Amino acid sequence: MDVHPVQLVVQDDLARSRPTVFFRLLLAIPHIVWLFLWTLLTVLFAVVTWLATLVSGQPPAWLHRYMCAYVRYQVHLTSYLVLAANPYPPFDGRKGEYPIDVTLPEPEVQSRWTTLFRIFLAIPALLISSAFSGSGGLRFSSGSHRSAGTYSGGGALFTACAFLGWFACLVRGRMPKGLRDAGAYGVGYGAQVLAYLLFVTGRYPNADPTAMLAGVERPPEHPVRLVGEAHDLRRSRVTVFFRLLLALPHVVWLALWAVAAILAAVANWFVTLVRGTPAAALHGFLSRFVRYRLHVYAFLSLAANPFPAFGGRAGSYPLDLELPEPGRQNRWKTGFRIVLVIPAAIVNGALEWGLFVAAVLTWFAALVKGTAPWGLRNLMAYALRYDAQVNAYGLLLTDVYPNASPLEGAAAQPDAFDDTL
Amino acid sequence: MSARTAGRAALLAVLATVWSVAAYLLWRSQVPSSLHLPHVAVRQMFSAAQLRAASSFGRFTTIDWVLAEVTQLVVFGLYAWRGARFARESAAGPIGTGMLLGMIGFALVWISQLPFGFASLWWERRHHLTHIGYVTYAFGNWLALGSQFVFLCLTLLIVMGLGRLTGGWWWLPAAPVFVGLVTLSAFVTPYLLTTHRLHDARLQAQARVLERIEHVQHTPIVVESVHDVTALPNAEATGLGPSRRVVLWDTLLDGRFTNAELRVVIAHELGHLKRQHLWKDVGWYALLAFPGAFIVARVTRRRGGMGAPEAVPLALLAIVVLDLLALPLQNAISRHMEAEADWEALQATRDPAAATALFKRFVSTTLDEPSASTLEYLVLENHPTIEQRIAMAEAWRGYERSNAP
Repeated sequence: MDVHPVQLVVQDDLARSRPTVFFRLLLAIPHIVWLFLWTLLTVLFAVVTWLATLVSGQPPAWLHRYMCAYVRYQVHLTSYLVLAANPYPPFDGRKGEYPIDVTLPEPEVQSRWTTLFRIFLAIPALLISSAFSGSGGLRFSSGSHRSAGTYSGGGALFTACAFLGWFACLVRGRMPKGLRDAGAYGVGYGAQVLAYLLFVTGRYPNADPTAMLAGVERPPEHPVRLVGEAHDLRRSRVTVFFRLLLALPHVVWLALWAVAAILAAVANWFVTLVRGTPAAALHGFLSRFVRYRLHVYAFLSLAANPFPAFGGRAGSYPLDLELPEPGRQNRWKTGFRIVLVIPAAIVNGALEWGLFVAAVLTWFAALVKGTAPWGLRNLMAYALRYDAQVNAYGLLLTDVYPNASPLEGAAAQPDAFDDTL
Repeated sequence: MSARTAGRAALLAVLATVWSVAAYLLWRSQVPSSLHLPHVAVRQMFSAAQLRAASSFGRFTTIDWVLAEVTQLVVFGLYAWRGARFARESAAGPIGTGMLLGMIGFALVWISQLPFGFASLWWERRHHLTHIGYVTYAFGNWLALGSQFVFLCLTLLIVMGLGRLTGGWWWLPAAPVFVGLVTLSAFVTPYLLTTHRLHDARLQAQARVLERIEHVQHTPIVVESVHDVTALPNAEATGLGPSRRVVLWDTLLDGRFTNAELRVVIAHELGHLKRQHLWKDVGWYALLAFPGAFIVARVTRRRGGMGAPEAVPLALLAIVVLDLLALPLQNAISRHMEAEADWEALQATRDPAAATALFKRFVSTTLDEPSASTLEYLVLENHPTIEQRIAMAEAWRGYERSNAP
């Protein structure tokens, strides 16, 4: 797959200044005012660029430069607000000086058809962007007044990352990598959407988190990870059309199973607290539940095609889960698990909202094309993986905290040579 | 004739005898067998405009029904032919795959029936018989649709599970299981209805009297609010044992029916309970379930039997065809029980004039035709025609006169 012309560049070292984090929203006020004014002008210029691109097939160079600066400024400011970056951003959207930045293409020839209908074509991307990041374009207020030009940073994932990151940064002076990566992904996707909307590029935004964060270091491997056949994008149109109805028996069965799983988890909590390791039988039962939930959600959200089995057996579904064997767990973490899981549950809630939007869009795409878009599939896989990690953590299958990074964890590299020898 | 064939013939004869005896016992009725229904002069009883409106309404409804049935058969036929290939869309093992195939078949039929449903809705709205919107009709009843899908999966789980355990003999244990489920459903259904108690104290007192007369004391008479979706008047006797009750639609209580007519309605529903018609329904279901399941088992043998998911589309077609073939019988049974309930109502109220007035009013309030064509009578009429019901009221009058001391 060729690389998207709008690429995210992440050079952030995760270090955060506590005072600027504490007052971040106040410090950002001048930027928000400036962005508001700049956006008003950009709306005007966007119309001019649209007409110019329709006539000449590509945007004029000076307008392109202007739009690039605007997109870049949005990236810088959003990164600052959601704590994906630390330094105070410049006001001019200059290139290459901010830890979270984007590379943007030179002016290019664009299809006049897609230019003509750009505002409509951008709607699916805007929906994803607003679900995950809340950025990426001009927002409409919930009331009757169109608030063109207001800053639009109200996405669920952004809010969760910023809210949780704020506490983490104040305590540790560092942004958790998972939250930073999630925020950076939202920033990057928002930039692609904005660049598309403002005619910086004619390339449609790519929702694939792996491609978006290609240059970012992968997190350590998590014991709960996705396995299976990722590249099977074929979707049966009939089962796609009736997906909600077809999933009903699974939803009922999952709900019944969930009741038993909660009771088993309570029992497992006592066992793990006393023995330090979960009971094997309970661990197996809960593992199957977590895996079955993934299968059902994958089927329901169209992240996978086939009708899943009812048993949550390993290897029975193309989008599957690898789960740890029963192992030693920290008793403190076990004792306070129900409290510790809350931040992860907040992020999970945000991702599930994004998963829902991605699933709805995939439904339309799969009905038309008979395949799921690769980017959306990977985006849903990210949300599903995190959901499984949260469940595994909450149900005491592992004491490794869920990793919010959109990137799948990398196995630890063996040392080149053993210097203990 | 070999001994094996003779044995089979003997077994068949025994089963047929048992079936016939059971059917006879279920068919027995309180309506005197000697009762002769007099001729009713329909054209003099109703105005030409009333008859024209009812006839026009009924004709469209019948055509719509026939087209819907044909479409359903075509869809299930095509699905039985090609549907098994959807098995490749499943990772769920044989039973799960069977569920998927069953649900896809149902979903396709649901979609194919929507246009006919819309046509019927349009027709009823045009005649001010319903207030349901088109969007509500299509999307407002997901819970009921979802419940059907879940029930279908449960059915397939039972059938396929037994099919895998017992091979071609699954129908023997499956039929009683389904009879049990139907009994359970009949018991539970009243608890799922949203109703309120009858507020009309006078009518309530009259209902108490009728309960005593019909020996079904302490039967709750409740009201279901349906006026926001339909203008059709209706009532039903529902439940078994402690769950049994009479449910009146609030459209009956909107002033269009007199108190005497409402007494007849309540007495009719109590008649159902007195004559144990809900239990008889279960009994008839049992009598039809065994041969029905047997036929499905035979039909699906060539596709590997009901243990194999590939047999599910064919089984669905077989069930639909059987259901259609059994429809005249089912309607005949239903009409028979309704006639008995009418008789019980006449015996309890001793008011044939009110019964006649009630049945006559149905022509204007429900656009029911006073009499029906043979096709409509066989496949659509699950109650006696209005002409027959009025004739029974007349016959009761004569019967009472001739049996008076």
